[in-house]
Amino acid sequence: MGDEQKATHPAAAEEKSGASGRRTLTFDDVETLAAIARAGHRSGNPYLPEMASVVEVIQETPNIKSFRVRFTDDEVMQSFAFEPGQVGQLGMYGVGESTFAINSSPSNNDYLQFSVMQAGEVTTALHQLSMGDKVGVRAPMGRPFPVREWRDKNLLFIMGGIGSAALRATILYCLEHREDYGEVTILYGARTPVDLTFGYDIEEWQSREDISTIITVDAEFPGWEGRVGFVPTVLEELAPEPDNTIAALCGPPIMIKFCLQVLERLQFADEQVYTTLEKRMKCGIGICGRCNVGPKYVCVDGPVFTMAELRELPDEL
Amino acid sequence: MKFLKESDLPAFLEHLSGEAAVVAPAKVDGMVRFLPWSPGTEVELEALLARQSAKEFIFPQWETFLKFRYLMVCDAKRPGTTEDAKMELRLSEEGEGGGEVVAVPAPAAHELLMVGAEQQAVSQVIFGLRPCDARGFVQMDRVFGGYGGFYFDPYYHARRSVATLLVVSCHEPRSTCFCRGVGGGPADAEGADVLFTRVPEGFVAQAFSDKGAAVLQYPGFEEVSEPQVAAAEQSKARAEEMVSVPFELESLREGLRANFESADWQELSRRCISCGTCTYVCPNCYCFNVTDEVVETQGERLRSWDNCFNPSYTLEASGHNPRDAKPSRFRNRFNHKFWYYPEKYDSLLCSGCGRCITYCPTRIDIREVLSVMGGNETRAAGQAAGGAGAADGQVAADAKVGGDAADGEESQHGR
Repeated sequence: MGDEQKATHPAAAEEKSGASGRRTLTFDDVETLAAIARAGHRSGNPYLPEMASVVEVIQETPNIKSFRVRFTDDEVMQSFAFEPGQVGQLGMYGVGESTFAINSSPSNNDYLQFSVMQAGEVTTALHQLSMGDKVGVRAPMGRPFPVREWRDKNLLFIMGGIGSAALRATILYCLEHREDYGEVTILYGARTPVDLTFGYDIEEWQSREDISTIITVDAEFPGWEGRVGFVPTVLEELAPEPDNTIAALCGPPIMIKFCLQVLERLQFADEQVYTTLEKRMKCGIGICGRCNVGPKYVCVDGPVFTMAELRELPDEL
Repeated sequence: MKFLKESDLPAFLEHLSGEAAVVAPAKVDGMVRFLPWSPGTEVELEALLARQSAKEFIFPQWETFLKFRYLMVCDAKRPGTTEDAKMELRLSEEGEGGGEVVAVPAPAAHELLMVGAEQQAVSQVIFGLRPCDARGFVQMDRVFGGYGGFYFDPYYHARRSVATLLVVSCHEPRSTCFCRGVGGGPADAEGADVLFTRVPEGFVAQAFSDKGAAVLQYPGFEEVSEPQVAAAEQSKARAEEMVSVPFELESLREGLRANFESADWQELSRRCISCGTCTYVCPNCYCFNVTDEVVETQGERLRSWDNCFNPSYTLEASGHNPRDAKPSRFRNRFNHKFWYYPEKYDSLLCSGCGRCITYCPTRIDIREVLSVMGGNETRAAGQAAGGAGAADGQVAADAKVGGDAADGEESQHGR
């Protein structure tokens, strides 16, 4: 099906005629846009998932599993490229697809990692997967974090619960390019120590001298000797300097809400604050019409937004 | 321009059906619908609008994205049949009387055998569309056609690229028509490959594309005469005058933006029963769902029409629903058509056919909604169209508004 469609892609024709009202992405635009469009046309059909097999399942917490999947076609795996913050549709045939952040490092060409919290129909089915099982992956999708624009800035990552999955790829990328950034602070909180994801990362982050990692849990817990307190409270105590700093947040809505208030008190400007949204999605490519927040589709205009951008949108989160 | 005698229409359609599937409006059980045409079927052009636009012929109610089949395999050593399992059990629990093997559990791992994308598209000629129906396709083309450099939809595109749209201009617009209000008109040629205009004894036909020009090659067309052209122009002008402009387009987007939090949404949506009829009869509504259907080891991934009034449309697995209240879902439909879509695609997602007004079981009138929410005071009360829905100057939710919305087809309405 591929070739013919590519040849007759109406957008291509429009571009030639100069009549295209190209959608504007306010950061990291042209390159990203091109990459997104290309990805959708690899097979000439953006709805056709790339087949992948599960190579590893990691039980992160009682209700979160990470799946490491590898495209069955080695060439696809090797040439796969994405930007931190982009998402993918992970699906099982017969069940359906859901959107998850790709949380492995962009430099990792061995597998893609998706972390899935058991919540609904698709995630429950995904939790049954074991090594060797086949899944369908449509990725990458969406607008990533503008990590290159962040060069030479201090980075503050604020994560709660499964929100860590949306920021992990970005953190890994920034740590791999550590010399490009100023101070890096990771603040991660969960309800209990048991609910902390990515224990393997946390251990490494805590052992590193060049980043500061603060882990907190909501309440005292037997055997927990670390910090106790809600993420916004801890953030307020940390009182990071807003100068030349980028704050990237992801977590439950209530955490986001209070963290934003704290950041505002600390005088972070809306342009310095990034978050990534999730919505129910079907097509994942800006067509099916359900993940909109006002005129923006979370799947293609997001999922990453700056606070400044979010304030422009109607309150329909 | 050409002329086609009315009596030659069946022969013309038969000629077309030699190379493509012909679709035309026909009356079945008192209802005018676009249906596959075959020789002998009478084309119904008297009723102004078919019950639904012809969108389902390009964007069907449901279609198969892909098919898949699972082949069950398992690496673990396991009994192949129930008999084997019973034997094993007997061996392992010899002397103890053991349990009973009822069935062998399904294998733990499954291997995907095949996934195939489905893109079947046959050439179609759709005759008898009204200009608003054709504009519906133009507006959907932007969504599915990768406007703005994003993804495009191969399934829609496959059908759309081999479809020819033969439009018949309207000679008797209804009171619910408001095509002129959204930039169209009863003789608008946007999206038409050929525009036919009714004149005494036949149609004046004008091609607007290469596909259309090819259609006019049919030898049954006669050269058009001066009086026929004049009659066509007269008919178009007359129809044009009959369609009112019920709201101002200019300030609409700004009005919707400003009124996003307006309490009027609550009032306007109060009598909405979330049935979604307006979305299904709409020639422009395109939002869809994707679901998997499985029978044993084989299944299909399907796309089907969805309806933004359905609460589960945006319901997330966590239980959170960004549009959990009816007014917010109601608001989304109008905002999508006149604010969100225009922002993305530089056009409107409404062609003014008025079907949503005619078929709404609670008589919600899009013109009223837009007049109120568009924040403009100049309502088209008492204009040529009989003032349906544009009623009086009082704001919103007036149940009497739209009471005279539907015309001839109203009898079909009382199901």
